[in-house]
Parts: sequence; structure tokens; C-alpha cells
Amino acid sequence: MSADERRQRLVKLASATVFLAAVAVAVLIVIDQSQTDGGDTSLEGVAAVRADLDGIPQRGLVLGDPGAKVTLVEFGDLQCPACRGFAEDVLPQVIESRVRGGEARIEFRNFTIIGEESVAAGAAAIAAGEQGRGWDFVELFYRNQGFENSGYVSDDFLTAVARAAGVSSIERWNRVRKSQRTIDRVAAESAEARRLGFGGTPSFAVEGPAAGGLKTLGTSGSAGDLESAIDDAR
Amino acid sequence: MADLVGARRRSAAPRRLTVPAEGVLRRIAAFLAAFGAGVAAYIAIAEADGGAPACLAGSGGCETVAASSHSELAGISVALIGVFGYALLLVTALLRGDGARMAGFGLGLVGFGYTVYLTYLELFVIDAICQWCIVSAVLMVALFAVNAVRMLRYVGTPA
Repeated sequence: MSADERRQRLVKLASATVFLAAVAVAVLIVIDQSQTDGGDTSLEGVAAVRADLDGIPQRGLVLGDPGAKVTLVEFGDLQCPACRGFAEDVLPQVIESRVRGGEARIEFRNFTIIGEESVAAGAAAIAAGEQGRGWDFVELFYRNQGFENSGYVSDDFLTAVARAAGVSSIERWNRVRKSQRTIDRVAAESAEARRLGFGGTPSFAVEGPAAGGLKTLGTSGSAGDLESAIDDAR
Repeated sequence: MADLVGARRRSAAPRRLTVPAEGVLRRIAAFLAAFGAGVAAYIAIAEADGGAPACLAGSGGCETVAASSHSELAGISVALIGVFGYALLLVTALLRGDGARMAGFGLGLVGFGYTVYLTYLELFVIDAICQWCIVSAVLMVALFAVNAVRMLRYVGTPA
């Protein structure tokens, strides 16, 4: 084969191969994009949440050292925009100053005041907690919250949040979140919030040696207020 | 003076890039493909049942990437697809002739293109870096380069 013939053969074969490869890559990307349109993943704040919670023990929906003397309880509704604001702007400071060092722990309890979608979201958080990813789930849900009762709390959305939160067995998580036991627990936590006299979310209470049981703090406050309440309860 | 003229003549002469013998390129490609298949297999095994490969220094990037829906394509683990792709590249490295040369180049190009896309996802969509995925990406880029040289230099020559 002469050099010219070889060059012509090379150009033909290479052109065809490059075309086929480009089509193959485009097909792979289209498949990937189409599967994420239904509810992934371009979830916001995954890295930030991971950094906020990194190295802090979690059990159920309790974040922090299980042996901590003080427990700060947040009664929240995952659909509540004010709770989201609190999760993004206030709680990170409290977590860094009081929880990371082991002085206190924070517990999330459901107070579903917005609608049925809040119940589904709360149950999903409890189920994620059973796999040690409860706070990752709560924080990621807040950061990707949609408009209240708009239908965004779909199975696809909840699954995407659970996966991004690091829930290892989606099958078990699905079973737990849909169980009557979990739904009943969401209702019981909401009933407790009403019994404590709360009328909105997020509401806080603190429990510690000096607090005399569960002491209610109300619906709002700054990071400084919560830190003072924790210090007073020790 | 004569030395200077001689030096100028030598530097003005066109340089010929030395391309390794095809057998050397095939051995390099076979090594890279086998190594890549091992890395992809580790990621696939670690991700089975919802787990994640171990990131060094506990950065957590591997968990985040493994948890992303981009870690699966049409329900199949991307890592598993990677094992299959590296295995095919290994076969093209072991075979002779223009068919194997073009197939190696084509598969390398597909792997390179999809690797660029996955790295973009890690950096700008998932917002996390999996060190094992970076190792695989480097191997795939190297495989593409070796297969491209093999194709450009040896297509049309006797096997």
C-alpha cells in the first residue's frame, strides 16, 4: 500500500470512527440527563451539608454526642421556609459552638403543620435516621425545599435526597418510611409539640440538668439565644 | 565557525518524532486497560448495596458521588459499564490488525468523551470529587492517547 493510499484509508476510517464515537458519547449523555430530569440530584448543598456534619455522631434524628448533658430539641416542618432559613443561617453556628465539642446534642422532631406532604417528608427523615443519616436528610431536604404542598415531595424527590444523604439501603428506607409505625411517630411528635403549646415552626425546647425537664424556648431566636439556653440548662 | 554552521544545519533539519513500536503501544494499552478494569471493578463492588469506595483522608467525596443518580446509567452502575469498557479495550490491545487499531481508538474516544462529561459532573453538578474516579479518568485519557498514536501511525501497515 502506497503512502497516499494509506493516508486516504486512515482519513476515511478515522472520520467514521470519530463520528460513531461522538454519537455514542451523545447517547450516553442523553440517557444520563433524561434519568436525572425526574428527580435528582442536582441537589443543592450536598458538599456543604457534609462539611457541616462531618465527624459529628448521629443516631436516629439526634445529632451530637449521645452522652451530652444538654439536648436542644427542634420541632420543625420540613416544608417550612422559616425552618429552612434557620437550618441555613442559625443552626450551623450552634452546631459548631455547642454540638461539635460535645456540650450539647440537637434532636429534630416533626411538627407537621403545613400539610400531608410534610408527613411524608418527616417519615422519610425518620427512616433515614434509622440508617444513621437523619440529619443529613433533614439538612439536605431544607436546602432543596420547594413551594409548600406543590407536589414536589414526590417519591423521586425523597429518594434523591435520601441517596444524596448517604442512606445505604433505599429498599429498607422505603419500607420504614411507609410503615404505619413511622407515620404514627410523626403524628405523636406533632401532638407533643401542640401539647407543649407551640403554634409554629421552628419551635425549640431544651432539656438539661438545670432546665427541670423539657423547657420550651418558643418559635424564634438567634444562634446566641439558643447558645445561652444551652449554657443555662447545663 | 565550521562547527557553528554545522550546528545550525542540524537544528534546521526537521525533527522526526520517534513512535514506539506497535508491540510496545499494545503492551502499554493492555496494562492501562487491565489496571482500569481493576479500579472500575473495585468501585463497582464498593458501590454494591448502596456503599461507596473509600476516599483517602476521609474526604467523603466518594460517598457523595456514589450516592448521586449519575452513578447509574439506565439502572446499570457506571462503574460496571467501566469494567466492560476497559475489558473491551484490553481485547483490542491484545489483537492485531486495522480492525483492532480502529476499535481501540473508537472505544478510547468514547471512554475519553464520557470521562470528560463525568468529571464535569463531579466538579460542577455533584460538587464532590471521588479520587477513584479521577484515577480511572487519568487511565482512560492515557488509553485514548496510546490508541490514537497506534491508529495514526500503524493503520494501513502490516499487522
